[in-house]
Amino acid sequence: MSKAGDWRNYQRVLLPPVKDLHKLEVYEANEGYAALRDVVTTDKWDPTSVTNEVKKSGLKGRGGAGFPTGLKWSFMPPVDPDIPRFLCCNGDESEPGTFKDRQLMEYNPHLVFEGMLIAAYAMSIKTTFLYIRGEFADWITLMEKELEKAYEKGFVGKNIMGSDFSCDIVIHKGAGAYICGEESSLMNSLEGKRAYPRIKPPFPAQKGVWGYPTTINNVETLACAPLIIRKGGEWFSGIGSEKHPGPVLYGISGHVNRPGVYEFPTGMLITDLIEEVAGGMRGGKQLKALIPGGSSTPILRADMIEGVTMDADSLREAGSMMGTSGMLIMDEDTDIVSWLRRITHFYHHESCGQCTPCREGTGWLENIVTRLDEGEGNLRDLDLLIDLCSQMEGRTVCALADAAAWPVRYTIDRFRSEFEGKCKKPSPVASAELATA
Amino acid sequence: MAKVTIDNQTFEFEGQEKLLQFCLDHGVDLPHFCYHPSMSAPANCRQCLVEVGMPQMNRETGQPNMDEDGNTVIQFMPKLQTSCSMQMSDGMVVKTHCSSETVKRAQKDTLEFLLINHPLDCPICDQAGHCPLQNQAYKHGPEGSRFEFEKVHKPKHIDLGPRVVLDGERCINCTRCIRFTREVSKSDQLTIIERGVKNYPMTPPGVEFDEPYSMNVIDICPVGALTSKDHRFKARIWEMSKTASISAVGAKGSNCDYWVKDNLILKVTPRTNMDVNEYWLADEERADYKRFNEDRPTSPTVSGADVSWDMAWKAAADCLKEVDGNRVLFLGSAYATVEDNYLLSRLAEAVGSSAPVYLPHVENGHGDDWLRTDDRTPNAQGCERLGIHAVSADDLKARLTSGEVDLLYVMEDDPVASGACSVADLEGIKVVLHHYNTTNATLPAADVALPAATAVETVGTYVNIDGHAQRLRPAKAIAGVNRTLSMEIGKCRADRHGTPFDKWYTESNLVNCHPGWVTIPSIAAELGTEMTYKGPKAIMEEVTASVLAFKGATYDAMGEMGVRLTEAGVTA
Repeated sequence: MSKAGDWRNYQRVLLPPVKDLHKLEVYEANEGYAALRDVVTTDKWDPTSVTNEVKKSGLKGRGGAGFPTGLKWSFMPPVDPDIPRFLCCNGDESEPGTFKDRQLMEYNPHLVFEGMLIAAYAMSIKTTFLYIRGEFADWITLMEKELEKAYEKGFVGKNIMGSDFSCDIVIHKGAGAYICGEESSLMNSLEGKRAYPRIKPPFPAQKGVWGYPTTINNVETLACAPLIIRKGGEWFSGIGSEKHPGPVLYGISGHVNRPGVYEFPTGMLITDLIEEVAGGMRGGKQLKALIPGGSSTPILRADMIEGVTMDADSLREAGSMMGTSGMLIMDEDTDIVSWLRRITHFYHHESCGQCTPCREGTGWLENIVTRLDEGEGNLRDLDLLIDLCSQMEGRTVCALADAAAWPVRYTIDRFRSEFEGKCKKPSPVASAELATA
Repeated sequence: MAKVTIDNQTFEFEGQEKLLQFCLDHGVDLPHFCYHPSMSAPANCRQCLVEVGMPQMNRETGQPNMDEDGNTVIQFMPKLQTSCSMQMSDGMVVKTHCSSETVKRAQKDTLEFLLINHPLDCPICDQAGHCPLQNQAYKHGPEGSRFEFEKVHKPKHIDLGPRVVLDGERCINCTRCIRFTREVSKSDQLTIIERGVKNYPMTPPGVEFDEPYSMNVIDICPVGALTSKDHRFKARIWEMSKTASISAVGAKGSNCDYWVKDNLILKVTPRTNMDVNEYWLADEERADYKRFNEDRPTSPTVSGADVSWDMAWKAAADCLKEVDGNRVLFLGSAYATVEDNYLLSRLAEAVGSSAPVYLPHVENGHGDDWLRTDDRTPNAQGCERLGIHAVSADDLKARLTSGEVDLLYVMEDDPVASGACSVADLEGIKVVLHHYNTTNATLPAADVALPAATAVETVGTYVNIDGHAQRLRPAKAIAGVNRTLSMEIGKCRADRHGTPFDKWYTESNLVNCHPGWVTIPSIAAELGTEMTYKGPKAIMEEVTASVLAFKGATYDAMGEMGVRLTEAGVTA
């Protein structure tokens, strides 16, 4: 059952259909910065009540892990005026199949700024960083321009809107590495260091950027904050799935008629998303498989999605994860082995090389899957792949090894016959020799 | 006291100890690569994984839960933990490869990964034989490899700097070298470049890895990725003998090992002594070995002619007899041991001369408050404590040219090279010289030249700049000394098991020289003065008994780590 309610009449809030919304004046005319004004200039809100409102909304992180946002904010230590504290907005979106944050940055950048400022207010932070991957050059330029306007208007910077709350936003360009989206890597990259993930503990809230308390949130997560303040946590928690509520940007790609980013409540039926939202399968083909939330989430076969909705609980039951809700749809003509080859190539290319299992394992996985794809593989390679996944999972500093191993493990698990079909056939001579031996 | 249980054995501990270091200190041999006690733990090699559990606490009572047998219920963490970064806490239960199949498997898996792209060129690798990767692969690794693809290729034989060569393919990315330059030497001359499996250490653009401590990365490299430009391909580790001694290049007296093959010193590596040099050795201390091998004298000489030792000693004694005692100038040496300087003082006393003096060799600005010192001699402190005081080159020149000196007795120094005098100044003055090398500039002026054993051939004591008295041990044998019979010379396999009939047995490179503690008593005997000691150990016993500043610094007390002296003797 769909948990999205009357989604056909859903009114978009993250990416409302307003022309030129990226411009400050248009954004302002559409209730823009109203939530921030409410928070910083009236007595209605204090940092704790903002955090509590976000907690009440049930907002879960949209960056992939789905951690409750309000709870994360409350991990920040008590304010010490001598110790700086930071907020990082993670715009290093780069997992294959995920392309939702760029929409926000392109079409509604001020919502992101406003969300960052509200989060900064809730955690008494004076400096925030917006870390954007370098490939998003156009949107970086756009956001820099818009940020400048917001500074001029007094929405960012010293004494925001005449209040005693001051906060800066610094836009930082990444150099285009997937690993920089991992929060501790992002911090190292921000500090100008090599983007190697850090060991936890200490967690960012204890020791983050330059060793100071830091919170890191995804772009889409922070973009929800102004809406929660404007319309209330209760309104937010009433949208979509009960345990995983809110509007969410579904990035649908692959063999559908209308691929794109669609804003709908959580808890949408996967079948609704494919058939109605994305206009059905391209060329009337049959669905073969799909990835629900970016390439690292386990693949689902067409026969596994009956009644499955896009929220954490339902997807877990189905054997996958919500991730970033970047859905990759594959039709019956897809060569699943070739697809996996491309995915393993990605993780091989993006492993930072800090930890042994990931550095060496990702390349080995690609080697074997490539051999299988080229028809040169053996049946035993499949068991070796599963074995290597076990050798990588949970044995590294960050989760990239898991993200690299899961697609391999679950794709083989769920499409084993296709892999076996591509393996080398034992030669008749060898078989005969075996039989007589 | 807090308790931790490792493989069913309970230990007590105090403070904020990390698990891996605690295990290593208590005889649990956990494999590891990236961890080094002097640097931060990045936990990147993933070799030291262990199972870690804590008592399961009852939320209501706050007490640990008990099972039916009354044992504490231990809740293990779902993932294996890197022991190098794991802070120990009270009640922690740890399972290592000794008691857990999971850990054993994980360590094997990591080694399999480490080896797939490692070139396995051990037969031509300098590190083979003392390679942590090799050793741990034998102990904990898989029997073979399941890797059937071409290995990753990376740059090889790259000169990172004047002294260190990189083989990128051998590198396992432990980042020890990077952290050394960042955290220990603070030169920041190395970083990791590239990404993923192509990673290797490199200098930033336009930077050369030329810091004065660069060669330490060779020792801490757990594979053969970083090798010494000077020593690479010269000898396998098992062909060399190793002798624990101290460096003679500066006043710090860094503890080191001298590696010897065919009686030639081939390399110098640091020996850990937390009171002196910790784990490190300066590049200049490693470079200081060629003078022990090259330009060595072949025989004692009298007026330039080779003579036997007996004749040479007699000639030196005759020189001393011929002149008035108070017209003899004894020049001690900050290069020579405490024992030899002490004997020289006794000789001076016997002929009625004033106490010896020594020439300081100070190069201002050379020191760095770490291992390098302005003082370029190893034993100036030892001389001072014996009452042998420094004389400036100018003062020495004034005394030599004033006509008040008839005989200059130089022990293990070179006043001509130091600029204290010229060969011409020494005309008309008899010179007795103990010298290490034929390059000694005073040698042409010497009437009697007595080849002296160097710091790597003698037994003795140096006192470093901080007043730390330490033992010298002979690393290479001199003529007349049998390597296998000398108790102190480090032995290699050839020494232990070889015979003179083995084809690799050699007696070449034995220098015909004698240490001061043989030469000076021999000359004294010719003069009719008895200096009978069983050896330097007995001399030092006499020094400790008669000179307050050396009180307690016996050979037994010094051992391998030395003792700290105060003005009143050894500190408690």
